[in-house]
Amino acid sequence: MTAADVLGQFLSGLARAGVLFLIAAGLSFIFGVVKIVNFAHGALYMVGAFLTYSFRVTLGVPFWASIVLAAVCVAVIGIGMEVFLFRRVYGRPVADQLLLTFAMVLIIHDVVRLAYGSNLRSVPRPPLLAGAVFLGDVIFPSYYIFIVLTGTAVLLGFWAFLHKTRLGKTIRAAVGNREMVACLGKPLPWLFTAAFAAGVFVDGLAGAIGAPLGGIRLGMDFDIIILAFATVIVGGFGSLPGTALAAFIIGEAYAFGIWLMPAIALSLPFIIMAAVLIVRPWGLLGRSGGGEL
Amino acid sequence: MLRSGRYSTALSTALLVLASMAMPAMAQQQPIKIGVAGDLSGAAASIGQAWADALKLGADEINAAGGILGRKVALSVRDTEFKVDVGIREAKDLVLREKVNFLLGGISSGVSLATSTSVSKEYKIIQISAVANTHRQTVELFQRYFFQVVPNTFMEGRAAAMVAAKQPSWKNYYTIGYDYEFGRMQAGAFVETVKKLRPDVKIVGQHWPPVGETDYTPYITSMMAAKPDVVYSNLFEAGLAAFVKQALPYGFFQKVKFVSFADVSSMMAVPEMPEGVLGYTRGEFYCENTPQMKKFTEAFLQRYKYYPVSYAVMGYDSLYVLKRGIEKAGTIETEAVLKALEGLTYEGLRGTFTIRAFDHQADVPEYVGWTVKDPKYPFVILKDIVKVPGSQIMFTEDEVKQMRAAAAKK
Repeated sequence: MTAADVLGQFLSGLARAGVLFLIAAGLSFIFGVVKIVNFAHGALYMVGAFLTYSFRVTLGVPFWASIVLAAVCVAVIGIGMEVFLFRRVYGRPVADQLLLTFAMVLIIHDVVRLAYGSNLRSVPRPPLLAGAVFLGDVIFPSYYIFIVLTGTAVLLGFWAFLHKTRLGKTIRAAVGNREMVACLGKPLPWLFTAAFAAGVFVDGLAGAIGAPLGGIRLGMDFDIIILAFATVIVGGFGSLPGTALAAFIIGEAYAFGIWLMPAIALSLPFIIMAAVLIVRPWGLLGRSGGGEL
Repeated sequence: MLRSGRYSTALSTALLVLASMAMPAMAQQQPIKIGVAGDLSGAAASIGQAWADALKLGADEINAAGGILGRKVALSVRDTEFKVDVGIREAKDLVLREKVNFLLGGISSGVSLATSTSVSKEYKIIQISAVANTHRQTVELFQRYFFQVVPNTFMEGRAAAMVAAKQPSWKNYYTIGYDYEFGRMQAGAFVETVKKLRPDVKIVGQHWPPVGETDYTPYITSMMAAKPDVVYSNLFEAGLAAFVKQALPYGFFQKVKFVSFADVSSMMAVPEMPEGVLGYTRGEFYCENTPQMKKFTEAFLQRYKYYPVSYAVMGYDSLYVLKRGIEKAGTIETEAVLKALEGLTYEGLRGTFTIRAFDHQADVPEYVGWTVKDPKYPFVILKDIVKVPGSQIMFTEDEVKQMRAAAAKK
């Protein structure tokens, strides 16, 4: 075991953390603002990946345009879902929300099955990012650098949006006190739609960027969505810095777990989650009672 | 008038008698119902689809040629979703409600084993597996209604190990296999055989990723840190696609030799698969140059617009095995067909094989070769193929008896 091996494994964990954060960020943000636990989040992530395949491989759109287009399409689908369906269950018991969002999972799965079948699809990495960067003995695939940078950009982007833009500030205010914001004449439902769209856009982006990582197939969301939920819980529902920290911890725990104690590596994220729930039930950077982004 | 009335009465009576005599004959003409239960969605979806497509092709061919014992064949296809509970539910439904006469399936070893022990055995329905291949269904958990016309997990691992052991510089092995029935058993067989043939071989580490794993990076970096000469893998489809894609930027394939499952189904999903990998498969269309294989390949390609992968080849064979069994028995009665299948010698697309009576395993081969790109195909194929005959890699009768006895003790 050399320093290079340790660094190599650390970078593997960082790449995994980047992917996890991209998926979990939207989930956490949407919960933070509109207080809905969106089970369909994973399904929309899968849609993002399949749309990227359609744009890039079927239609031959350049890679960068494909991922943006896919993310935008997912955001549009998300807006439709929010306006026509989710709005009706805000404030309803959690069970109703779960039923509705879970129904969306089933519907999206069947639509994807109809449109794409159940065969495996593959999106090649763009030539610019197909190789790797060499740091002495340590190899880091360029695509992972792109993922980590995108994750960082998303984190900073959300922060800037919430703290520096008027819309963001209004959304924060609405999270703190809905009635007051409504009294000031702000269109509350549309604020929520905007927030939902932003969260789903990042979700679609995660699917698009995740597409060239491995294979794209029906059910790819189930494999990752549970980890994404664990990440959000560890970080604190609604807290984006918390989600980033949790993704980092879980990604690294997984990477070093696989290397050093493979027998328990798979359960490590959940052991961490259980430990956090015992000590800080509201998550690492969440607040008890919630309410802060 | 009266006369003609009598005449018509007589005529209709005669007709009635004739009709009632014909009834049993018509009942005999009802189709032979075959339940097809396999994973058409989930991690092995494209495998299951190809297998089911080949069965439909075979059934149409058989029907066009007059059926089996003069009766048409009717398939009832069910998706078992790569889930044990769904597999049992669907297979039970096929037997109890659809009243199928035979079962073909399954795809995942876990699901197949479950339908074998809790449906085929329970309801005394013959089940023939053409894809799912855990050896436990013919050894420890063998039940007499189950037949297997695919090289079992052990045979596959053993065949790959026999060729790997011939590479003098391959000493330190790392293994990576799916964490379920098939992955564990096949890797176990590989390691056991390679160590037996080459006492100098060392296993420097083993990884067991879950079937749904999408990110193999931590596995790749930790394997490379152990600096093995060769990595044995039984990943397939989505997992293999992700693994190869993620290993390429690390220069993985320049640094270590790779032994991989190389079925066309997976190779279609992994266009990036490098050349020079030691690949093993259960019998692709390009592995045999016989007129039968050519005819089948053309018919399949024309109808479905994709190449018949090994799962299609084996599925097609399994339907014809059932046909021969029924014809030899002269009836579709389970006990008679079962007796006919035991010891049956049949000519399939991969050659002529015999089903052993004591474990119901056909002596089918495993094909091992080196990956190479071929401009004719949009996927890598194998060259310098060694067709390892079933007889060389199967358990002997004594081995089967010992393993069954050991399992019974537990």
